[in-house]
Amino acid sequence: MTWLKLGLVLVVSVVIQLSVFVDVRFFGVAPELLALVAVLAGFLAGPERGATVAFGAGLLWDVWLPTPLGVAAMSFATVAFAIGSVEAGLFNETRAQLAGLAFLGTFGAVIGYGLLAEVVGQRGFVDVELLRVALIAAALNGVIAPLMARPMSWALRGPTTLRDPAVLR
Amino acid sequence: MALAQRTGRSRHRLVLLALTAITLLTVDLNGFGPAESAQRAVRDVLNPVASLASTIFSPVGDAWNSVFNYDDLEKENEELQAQIEDLQGAALRGEADTETLRRLLAASDIPYVGDLQSVSAQVVRGSVGNFDAHVVTIDKGSRHGIEEGMPVVTGAGMVGRVDQVDNSTSRVQLLSDDDLNVGVRLVSTDQVGLGYAIAGERGMFVIDQGVNWPDTDDATLLPGIGTLVVTAGESGSYPADIPLGLIAEVGRAADEVSMRVEVELANDVGDLHFVSVVLSSVSDEFPLGEVIADTTGQGIDPDVLDGDEGDGG
Repeated sequence: MTWLKLGLVLVVSVVIQLSVFVDVRFFGVAPELLALVAVLAGFLAGPERGATVAFGAGLLWDVWLPTPLGVAAMSFATVAFAIGSVEAGLFNETRAQLAGLAFLGTFGAVIGYGLLAEVVGQRGFVDVELLRVALIAAALNGVIAPLMARPMSWALRGPTTLRDPAVLR
Repeated sequence: MALAQRTGRSRHRLVLLALTAITLLTVDLNGFGPAESAQRAVRDVLNPVASLASTIFSPVGDAWNSVFNYDDLEKENEELQAQIEDLQGAALRGEADTETLRRLLAASDIPYVGDLQSVSAQVVRGSVGNFDAHVVTIDKGSRHGIEEGMPVVTGAGMVGRVDQVDNSTSRVQLLSDDDLNVGVRLVSTDQVGLGYAIAGERGMFVIDQGVNWPDTDDATLLPGIGTLVVTAGESGSYPADIPLGLIAEVGRAADEVSMRVEVELANDVGDLHFVSVVLSSVSDEFPLGEVIADTTGQGIDPDVLDGDEGDGG
């Protein structure tokens, strides 16, 4: 049931990305919803399960991206693992901390995606524009994170969910 | 102890995921059929949902654009008003111009774009992410006879090539992508070269490979400003003689031996609504070796002659 709910959240996220955020852009940059899903998966479900969910989110997004299959998946899984590992040793969750992690995680995911794309032979990903896109997308995801945390928490709620974030209470 | 075990297990999971990603990357880069089919199936399932969502959420996008791009819209509105006035006066002249273009193309044995067998399509989506600025999605796919590599045109000329084909939609790589190399022919001098969009200069295209500066200073050997540039065709990546635009500037390239020809594209690929996909077979070779005597030793890289140097984007 949990995987079904996760699948639903992933599909809704990709549909929103493909419809709403084609037009709604900030300085020409769209939020990276699937990257946010990955970060939240790491945050809410921990490094192991979070990385797996993030991998699925990246794989789904890879289907639409101009890069080969697996680039976003690898980047997202690594970031979710890192967020999950860092977060495991932290604090009482708050909105600000969630937003901060979403910012850092998205920034890492976008930069990681660009670097990996370049490594596998895609041209023109690593430049100043990548930094600009990563910063704006990260800021946008930081703002959206508290909203997105609710459906992600709903989808991830199961026997192995690590925590119920205070930010949602 | 339990924490250490959990951390170790998590690392194993990450390594497993990384290996899976590397495997997927490898099979996808090698064009493994089932991987492509699986991706196509996912897109075919989700495309109708995304299209429906786009229709539902279009007021949101419109409202967003009206609020945050108001200045641009106002400027565009003024330009459109001016264009309407121009068009009213030019309506009759347009028919004559079209006829002139037909005659010009006919005189060069070039078929008019509108005469080629094609499928009309509507642009349903622009770029979906932050790394594909030079692609659009059209509402026609493999079930309409579209195949990868087919040229995409409007009545004015080429706008791009089909980059990815699904059942009912296709992705078009636009001519504005400087990764898209096109074999071209300068009609006035019948020279064949290779060109690509100039990054950051909207609507401009440059030919800087394959066309050499004449040995003598005879200006008549240079292609004329305002003359037509078309696809090279024959054994190139696209059918021959699809117009691209008109020559805007001719000069020496940095190596002082090659020619650098700047072309003003006939189409504004940044504002497309309807296009046509030319239904043509595509070959992978390019005739430059036979046509152009390369005295510089800086011949065209054969890796880029298939029209698409990379998929970045």
